[in-house]
Amino acid sequence: MGQNGAGKTTTIKLLSGLSTPTQGQIFVDGMELSSESGKIKQILGLVPQDSGFYDERTALSHMVYYGRLKGLSKKESLEQSRVLLDQVGLGNEMFKKVGYFSHGMKTRLGIAQALLNSPKVLILDEPTNGLDPVGIRQIRQILRECNNNGITLFLSSHNLLEIQEICTYVGILDKGKLIAESTIEKIRHIESSGVITVGIYNLSSKIVHLIESLEFVVKTELKSKHIMEIFVNSNKDVKPEINRLIVESGGQVFKLMENSLSLEDAFFNALE
Amino acid sequence: MNFSEVQVIGEDETFRGSKSRYVWLFGGIFIFLCFLAMHYSTSYLFLFFSNSGGIPYTLISYQMVLSIGPFMTMIASFDIVSSETETGSVRYILSKVHRSSFILGKFLFLLLVFTSISSGIALISLIYQYSGGNTFHFESIILFWISSSLYLGCFISIFLLISILSTNNKISFTMSVVFLGILIFFILQGNESYLKYITPFFYGIKNMEFMKGFPVEAGYLTVFESLFSMFLYILVFLSMSLIAIKRRDF
Repeated sequence: MGQNGAGKTTTIKLLSGLSTPTQGQIFVDGMELSSESGKIKQILGLVPQDSGFYDERTALSHMVYYGRLKGLSKKESLEQSRVLLDQVGLGNEMFKKVGYFSHGMKTRLGIAQALLNSPKVLILDEPTNGLDPVGIRQIRQILRECNNNGITLFLSSHNLLEIQEICTYVGILDKGKLIAESTIEKIRHIESSGVITVGIYNLSSKIVHLIESLEFVVKTELKSKHIMEIFVNSNKDVKPEINRLIVESGGQVFKLMENSLSLEDAFFNALE
Repeated sequence: MNFSEVQVIGEDETFRGSKSRYVWLFGGIFIFLCFLAMHYSTSYLFLFFSNSGGIPYTLISYQMVLSIGPFMTMIASFDIVSSETETGSVRYILSKVHRSSFILGKFLFLLLVFTSISSGIALISLIYQYSGGNTFHFESIILFWISSSLYLGCFISIFLLISILSTNNKISFTMSVVFLGILIFFILQGNESYLKYITPFFYGIKNMEFMKGFPVEAGYLTVFESLFSMFLYILVFLSMSLIAIKRRDF
């Protein structure tokens, strides 16, 4: 994920062989792209950002053509095309010219053509961009099914909700550089592990100072006479330590709760 | 490069081309113009210096190919890659096949179309020769077919390169018109100018006198030289196209 111009599409183009790297190497499934591009192309399925189909051709005709380009025979290509078009909900539209398709239908056709010849990795460049909520839900459903069938999904998006719902592993790009990468859960803890809300009956300035002196505490904010928010930066669970310190200082804790950061918060924290 | 990929690209282009009304329209116009030129050849027979073997139908056909052929190939080839770039379909294709296969598939399709058109013209020429009771020059017909195909192949490779370098059809068309204009300008510079070697016209024109029939004074070596030059010309531009597409980002 990343802002506009961060390098998401460029990364995808490099991975799928649409752009050539000026330096460095790209490995897909242990194979180096420049020397084994043919093999890599066989295990990759690409869904580019803009659906560029021939308006005058039918969905089935596109699928058969792309299937054959992926090394399938005419018969195999036709069989797989019918199954995949059914899978993405275009079974009844396979003989319709793509020129009459909506944006959502074209995206689904894009996914179907990428699934030809059973790829190991499906690369998608902002797949839900410009779709209505129904279309977004359909695409997410299809992608989940693909993932359940063992296909690795590699997708770019600036829609954080989408990433949170689909992805398990996230990388944050900024100005062409990967500034953070980890699992969704961990990435939320990269810059700050979150905010701990503490309720203390006899909250005093002494307790506040003691808490602020802890090395993992970034800052504290008093929300009311008894409620305080503690911003912490740690990968460990620090609640027991905070609780112990308050109790040892004579405080009576009635609430201790950690509010994990959303991916959006983590994203902006990482960018800052 | 993978030959089966080249085959699939070529087959698909042929399938789409056979359904395209423009291919039929311009191919038909080309053949029709050649037919008209042969049909009314007696009206301008004075243009041909030698009329010993009757009306030189093959020569008339060849002159038509030399003059109209470049424009026809331009119309058919200028958008062969740029249209795919403009619509974005090139991304679907290049994520599946080698770039060299993509280009060779396109080139071979265009060559097939124009070779078929050359065959059509050769056939009309043959019919006219036969019906006119002329001396039958089968070698001339064969030479016409090979020479026309190679000559048009040179232009196909030029416009293919331009189409690869262009981001959309408008740019490709403009560049093709300008480049064709430059080539015409070069050949009009006359025999003394070295610029003539850059144009396919020069190599095509070399074979003109052979279209009247064999044997001729210059001999077979000139024919071979001309055909080989055109073959090299195609190879050079095709190699440039392959380099260009490998360096392009899509």
